[in-house]
Amino acid sequence: MPERNTPQRTLESWKQIAAYLDRSERTVRRWEASEGLPVHRREHEKQDTVFAYRHEIEAWSRLRTRCPGETLSDEAESLPQLKPAANAYLAEHDAITRTMHCYIAGARAGDGELMRPAFHPSATISGYCQGVEYSGSVEHVFQWVTANGPAPNINPRFARIEIIESIAVVHLEVQHWSGKLAGANARASDVFTLLKCNGEWKITHKLFHWHDQ
Amino acid sequence: MTKSEYLTEYDGIVKTMQMYIDGSKQGKSELMRPAFHPDASFFGYAGEQLATGTKFLFDWIDKNGPAPKIEPRVVSVDILDSIAVVRLEVAGWSGNLAGSDVRMSDLFTLLKMPGGWKIIQKAFHWHA
Repeated sequence: MPERNTPQRTLESWKQIAAYLDRSERTVRRWEASEGLPVHRREHEKQDTVFAYRHEIEAWSRLRTRCPGETLSDEAESLPQLKPAANAYLAEHDAITRTMHCYIAGARAGDGELMRPAFHPSATISGYCQGVEYSGSVEHVFQWVTANGPAPNINPRFARIEIIESIAVVHLEVQHWSGKLAGANARASDVFTLLKCNGEWKITHKLFHWHDQ
Repeated sequence: MTKSEYLTEYDGIVKTMQMYIDGSKQGKSELMRPAFHPDASFFGYAGEQLATGTKFLFDWIDKNGPAPKIEPRVVSVDILDSIAVVRLEVAGWSGNLAGSDVRMSDLFTLLKMPGGWKIIQKAFHWHA
């Protein structure tokens, strides 16, 4: 067998991530903030460094919803970048949105593992499903999402994001749920509680309400 | 939800929150335990330490003892059919563990059960 170079599994800087996606650094930074491009951070004393997993970037790239405004990206690129210090609230807001996009990407793809990084390891869920109350480990969500399969038409809306320093609540309204378990065109209201752990926002609890069809 | 239905649910939620407030004020977890769902969770940072689990909360309340001067404010109550979110701001926390004049922000999520609204999670931020 011919020898093959094993590709590096991680991309170790904005430059590498940008090159991998064949876009400018500014564009990939914007995708992280607004479209949930999965970029991770290593915390250092002075400045954090970023890295990304190729398989996550590829999964994101496959699932990324192409918006009608996509062709306007050149215009968007000319927008000034946010200054993090001057926009602390927006920086937290964006970070929370990224975590939520990780959840949404998993829900859309029908892949529980894809959304796992959005959750705290001890996260729990509660709510009623077909009149029966369920409370328990978040593992149930991952299993459900995987068993449900793809839900390509889900339309998530952030009804509310409220941040109080290290904690936050996100009210997500999702229309057009579909799949093996969700049925067709179902609607769910979800309330997520998040905690900022070691600089990353993680979901600690998901409270759900399925609306009667 | 009609207006009268909304008010009924609102009152039910406030009643549950009052149990939490009474337990906090008197330093008696037994007063607030009925407000919590058996599977309720609890999350937040107490300084650098991540505190989790309702056992931690109830032990803390009992050890902290009375906090007679707490000023609780229900900042928001949002009801979505069977689920709800309450933001509570509590100023003037005191006690054996809290120290004096501490401020706490809480986010409670609640689930409507046959026996009334129950707290399913409390997330807190302790303002240092």
